[in-house]
Amino acid sequence: MHIVIVGGGEVGSALARALAADHEVFVIDHEPTVADRFASLDVGFIHGSGTSEEVLARANITDADFLVACTGLDEVNIVACAIANRIASPETICLVSRADFLGTSTHAGLEQFGINRVLWPEAQLAVDIEQVVTAPGAIDAEVFAGGVVRLLEYKLDASSALVAATVGALHLPRGSLIVAVKRGGKLFVPRGATQLAAGDKVILMGTPEAMREVEKLVRPGANRGRQRVTIIGGGDVGLQVAERLEHAGNVDVRIVERGEERGALLAARLTRTLVLNGDGTDLEFLESEDVGQSDVLVCVIDNDERNLLASLLGRQLGVQKIVTRVSRPANLRLFERVGIDVALSARGAAVAAILHQISGGTSSLLAVLEHGEARVLEITVSPAFVPRQLKGIGTPEDAIVAAILRDDHAIVPRGDDRIEPGDRILVFCTRAAATRVQAYFSGTGH
Amino acid sequence: MRISLVAHVCGLIIRVFGLMFLVPLLVALGYGEYRDALGFLAAAVVTVTIGQSMRLAGGTDAEQAIEGMRRVEGLAVVSLSWLFIAWFAAIPYLWAGLGPIDAMFESMSGLTTTGATVFRDFSQFGRGIFFWRSMTQWLGGMGVIALFVAVLPRLAIGGREIFFAEASGPDDEKVSPQIRRTAALLWRVYAGLTVLQTGALWLAGFSLFDAVCHAFTTLAAAGFSPHPQSIAGYNNPAAEWVIIVFMFLAGANFALQYRALAQRRFNVVLRDEELRAYAGVILLATVALMAILAGTMPAGDNLRTSLFQVLSILTTTGYASVDFQLWNEQAKAVLLGLMFIGGCAGSAGGGPKVVRHVLLAKFTMHELRRTLHPRAILPVKLGGRVVQASVLQGVIVFFLFYLLTFAVCSIIVILLGADILTGISATAATLGNVGPGFGSVGPMGHFADLHPISRIVLTLAMWIGRLEVLTVLVILRPEAWRSGRWSSADRATG
Repeated sequence: MHIVIVGGGEVGSALARALAADHEVFVIDHEPTVADRFASLDVGFIHGSGTSEEVLARANITDADFLVACTGLDEVNIVACAIANRIASPETICLVSRADFLGTSTHAGLEQFGINRVLWPEAQLAVDIEQVVTAPGAIDAEVFAGGVVRLLEYKLDASSALVAATVGALHLPRGSLIVAVKRGGKLFVPRGATQLAAGDKVILMGTPEAMREVEKLVRPGANRGRQRVTIIGGGDVGLQVAERLEHAGNVDVRIVERGEERGALLAARLTRTLVLNGDGTDLEFLESEDVGQSDVLVCVIDNDERNLLASLLGRQLGVQKIVTRVSRPANLRLFERVGIDVALSARGAAVAAILHQISGGTSSLLAVLEHGEARVLEITVSPAFVPRQLKGIGTPEDAIVAAILRDDHAIVPRGDDRIEPGDRILVFCTRAAATRVQAYFSGTGH
Repeated sequence: MRISLVAHVCGLIIRVFGLMFLVPLLVALGYGEYRDALGFLAAAVVTVTIGQSMRLAGGTDAEQAIEGMRRVEGLAVVSLSWLFIAWFAAIPYLWAGLGPIDAMFESMSGLTTTGATVFRDFSQFGRGIFFWRSMTQWLGGMGVIALFVAVLPRLAIGGREIFFAEASGPDDEKVSPQIRRTAALLWRVYAGLTVLQTGALWLAGFSLFDAVCHAFTTLAAAGFSPHPQSIAGYNNPAAEWVIIVFMFLAGANFALQYRALAQRRFNVVLRDEELRAYAGVILLATVALMAILAGTMPAGDNLRTSLFQVLSILTTTGYASVDFQLWNEQAKAVLLGLMFIGGCAGSAGGGPKVVRHVLLAKFTMHELRRTLHPRAILPVKLGGRVVQASVLQGVIVFFLFYLLTFAVCSIIVILLGADILTGISATAATLGNVGPGFGSVGPMGHFADLHPISRIVLTLAMWIGRLEVLTVLVILRPEAWRSGRWSSADRATG
């Protein structure tokens, strides 16, 4: 496919890196120094403004299938999409950073500018954070296919029921499945004989009901009462996470904001959340508010350094689970290495969402996990596919069919379940296996 | 403050009020009460003449200044015209043989929708007088000034200040951005409900005269009844249910009812926090009263009687479907407590208003919470919107002055010879515009035996209570008058 990316910032370069192998990619940026970033990639870099018709023409916009506008300026993104739409007909994806562009009525307004999809990475991040927060003990959580399949990731400790026996001998709730284990930097699909150990990260998928049972199994002593969540940083993401948690119910939310005026605005918008005016990196203040008693600490300050400090202070005060926003995707691994349970990046989430949109077709990318090492694909099985039982497919180490979607509900398959042509299936696989898996199910299966 | 302007606008209002005497005049003529009719005619002539001369005294300067009316002038106009109107409305009572203090008491009790009476013997008065008594309450219920803002084109713009000075409650939400249209729409709802209730009472077996008089005094949450034993004298359960329904409506925000009726926004109405609190108080008090009264009457009667009395006192109507003076002290305590709550803001009900209690309760809870979290930002919200700190301060100051006024007045009344129960309940009932109290001022009793000075004090309490304390107290401050001058032209000459 032919893809034009306007804006060579972090989102733009991450997209280019992911897409360059299989697609024809042009990157437009008005900053000449940005070009270096793309020198090592197999993409075309055009120096100029994405809002200029001439520059867009040089990127061969008339042949483009997609235009992604991801500069740091919302207005530039909108105008670039609008112009591209006037002179050609690519699918346009526009990144924005303010709620104003996503309101129920204004959204319709943006469509009139020829924008097919408006993405608000911070909002996506807020959704991800909410999922992780509301799954006690989990270090990652996602929902797929309109909520009929749920994914949870846990880090096992010695007391967990999952380390007691081999995977085959574990009595997991019906409708749930261990799709992956990460041990010592290696991610693999476990077999019946695999023995889980403390320190492993395990990823489970299944129906929401089964996953509730899993939660009980993994953390038998887990407090099922009201969760106490402290959010540090009352920016867009903090506000949205608080709003979403208020709706989720069964959560007591506190939000710490440094600015007094911003705090007043938060207090006006939020109904059940306690808004505290203070500095989230001030140890004395955190102690006086008993932040250490929180079940979850969410650090979403718009500054990696301060976020890291607030998270580490939270750890020191004894918070069990810490979820932190990372602005620079390059810092993600570092954050997790120093003991933060979940580090999420708004831009990472946006890149995943855009890749999902672009890949389209018979398979779509639902999630990227473990910093890109694993993904969840939704595939519609080709009509030419020869029906067969799952055990006939074999048990590769890098892919597993996690669910078959039929009539709005999910079947978590066992060896004797059959895959039929036309089925919609969710496949968990490593990055390397993704293309092979897609090819397998879009052909006859041989 | 431009005194000429205040005089001019007061004159304008008084002159129109003079025309109101024509209605009871016709009623009196219709019933052949020619002596009373003459009284109404005299009152009309005197009122219109004085109103006209006040208007003229203001001169053309004042006429041009109306549009630029300032807040303090608006407060003065409202406070003074209520006082003047009460004097003029007393003329028919004087004519019918009441002393000046009593006539003023009865007239103020009418206009402020209190419903406390000094009539000892109901049989000595004609139907015209009883009609006038009910009609003053009806006029006062929605606000005399709101009515005149709606009908007097001269007050189209300057009416803004005086409309809000008279309106009840801390909430100045309007139905229309135009003050004149707001006043007209609210009066239309009010009048429409009155017609409905008249019909309903007539169907329940009341005579047309009684139906009209009671509809007037129910919708105004006022409580005068032509019957000396109030509603109890009719012994008509169906009519009691009708009155229960309309008392509830009279105590609820009329702007809200307009939204429900005309704009069909029912969920907005159901989500209204004040209305919910109002309904909650009614429910709670009724259950408490039923529990206290259990055993004294059949359950059905108990429900009706308890609900009736709760609504009557809470909405500050002041009807009695039984002589609750005969109830035990516990039941009286429930009713006395309700006197300090009142109806909703923007209703015909008096008292401190439910919404002020809601705000005060929220404010108190937040202050308690603040001791636990000293750095918390805790705005008080009503209906999801943040209430300004100035409004909250207003509410707190209101309660302070309300209780202060209550304390001072009740001590005066008790010092002048009333027993404690009578003194406290009489003050609570007049300041809150409820009507009857307990003891000798109970629902079947009257205020005529109180010391004359007590009666004057309680008359003032009704006035202060109706205008929500601060309106009156502000213009009692010398500061408001020190800068007073006859008109804006004075500055040029002096």
